[in-house]
Amino acid sequence: MARMRVGPVLVTGLVVALLGAGCASSELPGVERVATLFADPDGDPAERCDLLAPATEAALTTDEGVPCPEALPGLPIGAGAVRSVAVWDREAQVQLTDDTLFLTRTDRGWRVTAAACTARPDRPYVCALEGS
Amino acid sequence: MRRFLRENGLSLTFGALFLLTLAGQAFAGRAQVNDERLADGLEPVSLLAFVTSSTFGVDVMENWQSEYLQFFLYVFATVWLVQRGSAESKELHQVGTESDEEQRVGEHARPDSPAWARAGGWRTTVFSRSLGLVMGTLFLLTWAASSVAGWAAFNAGQLRDHEDPVSWADYLGEADFWNRTLQNWQSEMLAVGSMAIFAVYLRQRGSPESKPVGAAHDDTGETG
Repeated sequence: MARMRVGPVLVTGLVVALLGAGCASSELPGVERVATLFADPDGDPAERCDLLAPATEAALTTDEGVPCPEALPGLPIGAGAVRSVAVWDREAQVQLTDDTLFLTRTDRGWRVTAAACTARPDRPYVCALEGS
Repeated sequence: MRRFLRENGLSLTFGALFLLTLAGQAFAGRAQVNDERLADGLEPVSLLAFVTSSTFGVDVMENWQSEYLQFFLYVFATVWLVQRGSAESKELHQVGTESDEEQRVGEHARPDSPAWARAGGWRTTVFSRSLGLVMGTLFLLTWAASSVAGWAAFNAGQLRDHEDPVSWADYLGEADFWNRTLQNWQSEMLAVGSMAIFAVYLRQRGSPESKPVGAAHDDTGETG
């Protein structure tokens, strides 16, 4: 049996393993800001659409048959206060008092992948707005 | 320099192979993750973003923990368990921790014995078990790191699938954690068990992991 060398790389591995949690906490304000702007019913619909992930915006325009700024106001997206923000790697969840939003980190910053979501026990949320 | 390389060839070669294969894992892992992200309508990630992600972290740690578990168990098990005819086993009559004379500790230490082998008391007690203790500690640390990285990767997947994240304690009860853990453990147990048996009947000329080619099949504990 080959003898394995115990190397100092172990410490590096542990740091890498824990890095995600450390980085995630620094992302919380950015995630909350995007979610709040997106969920603002008085915000400019075009600017709110810019906060959608490309696949989500494409699914919305395809499903509704109209441009995103026209379709977005008709969706039951919540506008309540932020109850909690969770960030794991490049994905995030923002719980509002009346909605749950999911976001992903893109090269342009955090973008909404799903909104108007309702929880189901032991199953994924069902969302009125999400990518296909 | 040439002498140093020759005298440390085993550790240097495996150290280099470790770095090369770790780099290969990073490139292959990133390609796989980006295939999945593109299929989900998400942007691909850079190599730096991938190697600092929990996905890469758990894939590395879940393998490290099982390797250290393997060596920890093997170091301890071979004190008490023997395998007739195996180069991986000691002689059948040597089962146990053996005498101080056989182990060259305390008053039986030789001039070139390590200081803690000669010291007696707690230092000799600790040094006598230091290999297993270090392997066991490394196993626990890497298993813990595996659980944390796995937890983060699992929760990222939960959010990607529009599900709630779970606590670390809940993750320890998830099938994902135990599937990652046990699929690595079983392969290590298979490797150790098969090596113990193969070393009875098969030979590798010149390798200290094998008996001499001409050694009898029931010749236990001899290496060549």
